[in-house]
Amino acid sequence: MPRDGYRERLEALRRDVVSTGEVAVRRLRDALTALEQKDDELARRVIEGDAEVNARYLGTERDCIDLIALQQPVAGDLRFVVASFKILTDLERVGDLATNIADRATEARRDRFAEVDVQEIGAFAASMVEDSLEAYGNEDVEACRGVAESDDVLDARCEGATRRVIRELADAAHEDADGSVSDAKNLLLTVRDLERVGDHGVNIAARTLYMVEHEDELLR
Amino acid sequence: MTETTTETEEQSTGTSVGSGDTDTRTTKGESEERTRDEWREYSFSEDAILSVDDLNVYYGDDHSLKDISMDIPEKSVTALIGPSGCGKSTFLRCLNRMNDRIKSARVEGTVEYNGEDVYQDGTNLVELRKRIGMVFQAPNPFPKSIRDNIAYGPRKHGDINRGFVASLLGRDDKEEEDELVEESLRKAALWDEVNDRLDDNALGLSGGQQQRLCIARCLAVNPEVILMDEPASALDPVATSKIEDLIEELAKEYTVVVVTHNMQQAARISDQTAVFLTGGELVEYDETDKIFENPESQRVEDYITGKFG
Repeated sequence: MPRDGYRERLEALRRDVVSTGEVAVRRLRDALTALEQKDDELARRVIEGDAEVNARYLGTERDCIDLIALQQPVAGDLRFVVASFKILTDLERVGDLATNIADRATEARRDRFAEVDVQEIGAFAASMVEDSLEAYGNEDVEACRGVAESDDVLDARCEGATRRVIRELADAAHEDADGSVSDAKNLLLTVRDLERVGDHGVNIAARTLYMVEHEDELLR
Repeated sequence: MTETTTETEEQSTGTSVGSGDTDTRTTKGESEERTRDEWREYSFSEDAILSVDDLNVYYGDDHSLKDISMDIPEKSVTALIGPSGCGKSTFLRCLNRMNDRIKSARVEGTVEYNGEDVYQDGTNLVELRKRIGMVFQAPNPFPKSIRDNIAYGPRKHGDINRGFVASLLGRDDKEEEDELVEESLRKAALWDEVNDRLDDNALGLSGGQQQRLCIARCLAVNPEVILMDEPASALDPVATSKIEDLIEELAKEYTVVVVTHNMQQAARISDQTAVFLTGGELVEYDETDKIFENPESQRVEDYITGKFG
């Protein structure tokens, strides 16, 4: 097949995007573990590790620009490069959100809002990103639609968690109000961050669907 | 015409035929997704000035174009792309019956220009080729002055009278000729570069200027359609850009049909792109952005992304 070098670079881009995503998801899972175990050291590693996600993101973005400038991809190849370029931004944002969660990890007093299972929400959001990456890697359009559908579940769980926190906060208004407010704030921000992680998973799936089928139904 | 140049280019851009056709064969079925009749139903926003129906061309026993049907909308740029030997230049030459000059060529089907079949008996070929002009790959100005190159056609056709006899008869069209020369050169974006040396020999111009002069010469006989066969492939990048700009400008007033080996050029300048593939088949014809962003046929996708060729 002609243009072997070009095709190899396209495949290398696919691998690099997937591995950037794997690093971002690992950071997210580490941030959730740090939150669960109040592990200062792990939280610090997640925050410092964001530099690695950013470096990979910038390097891979550079590869996309080079491919466009030097190889002039068209048709399916062009959609692949453009989708990869956009997906990288989502992955970088997932890395940032992991950093946010790690930032708040050791402040949280998990016993106060024990009914809110932030770990379960986090695992769900992380798996959405993983699924979207797998869909991208395998060009699996059904998996893309699956990720988009699971976002409704995540949104509902985040909404439920938010309501529960606010209700408990109102009930506990008379005792240690300041501490409750601070914990509630952290928890709500974390829930919001996880909800956004899911949104990035959906974006990745939507771009992948566009890439494979030139179909923008999930982008709208 | 410099066939050698063409060959070399094709090899260097990797679009030569013969190798790697495994892909072609395996995906052949998918190219039948849209039949040629469907291409015709495809409605471009402008009216069709040229309407080709079931065109078949044979060179002796060689079946060079197979059942080609396509409408070419007026005042737009239509690019014809495909590997060498796919019949795109043959197709171009059918549009103003340039193939008539090749003895072994046999043409079947119809090519309607403004509703009239150009292949019907009694077609005035001189008039046809005035209305549907042709610009070739290598600039081919006459070894005459710039002015004479432009005025050659109109003088020959008697639209402009010049010379001793005309002046004796008091019918010297000097002013009309000056106007025509200026207008044609302006339209070909050459006037500013040559207006102080209209009587210099055209062969003293650069390659890019010569090519724009050939375009001006074509415009001077007042065509409606301009056919271009690789008009920029013998030019450097700067001269190529000027030709490309010119083509876009011309499309406001004329219908341009251009054969190019440079797919990026087709993408840059054309409104519609027709992809011919080996065997003289029109595989896909659609708006250019559709062809280069999301072609329907797997064979077209493979060709334009360089997966075979």
